[in-house]
Amino acid sequence: MNCKDCSEKLDRYVDRELNSTEVLELSLHLESCPDCQDHYEFQAHLKRLVKHSCECDTAPPAFREKLRQILT
Amino acid sequence: MTRDPDQAQDLVQEAYLRALRYQHSYQPGTNMKAWLFAIMRNLFWDRFKGSRKEDVSLDDVGEFVLYEKLRDEGARPEADVLDKLAATEVVAAVEKLPPLHREVVLLVDVEGFSYKDAAQTLGVPIGTVMSRLHRARQQLQKSLYDYAVESGIVHTDGAKEVPTQ
Repeated sequence: MNCKDCSEKLDRYVDRELNSTEVLELSLHLESCPDCQDHYEFQAHLKRLVKHSCECDTAPPAFREKLRQILT
Repeated sequence: MTRDPDQAQDLVQEAYLRALRYQHSYQPGTNMKAWLFAIMRNLFWDRFKGSRKEDVSLDDVGEFVLYEKLRDEGARPEADVLDKLAATEVVAAVEKLPPLHREVVLLVDVEGFSYKDAAQTLGVPIGTVMSRLHRARQQLQKSLYDYAVESGIVHTDGAKEVPTQ
């Protein structure tokens, strides 16, 4: 695998959407390529950042209780 | 999706009621969360379908790879930029996305859905999930880059140092 192939598959690698052969190929490339490893860590960090930033919106306790009552 | 807590609560409550009413339509063995989200999404679009029109207006930012852009400008992408972005700015960038693109980011990145489950929820092929996600991320990264430049987190003149305050 070269850096271009790696870059094209990076999002699916971060999203855990590659098959096991592709994961192995990409992991081997990352081990031998510091630039792509940095890029991977950046993309994974960005995904975590989006998740943690948007997760702050949680339902208030009173509303959770209301939903619980609907279900029981 | 609604950007309004009261509307969001109404939508969730209605989705729960509808799920109970149509529980026979759930197929055991399939992803229940994806099924619930599909009900909620359909309700959202029924109520706010006028906003579908927003979706033609996603700016074509071309191939925008934030990591490469920052590295080319001499910044350390992770330490200099990602670590300095505030959660409120990330949320603002997500909220700026048109609904059809915002929902796929929320499902895959925030809710942790697989492409397959996101496709089931959205009622589209996996390829559509991938292409929408790709375009949404390009736009998101462009918004975060613009914010980083405007707020002085990154300098476009190639300077590596960033303000410490």
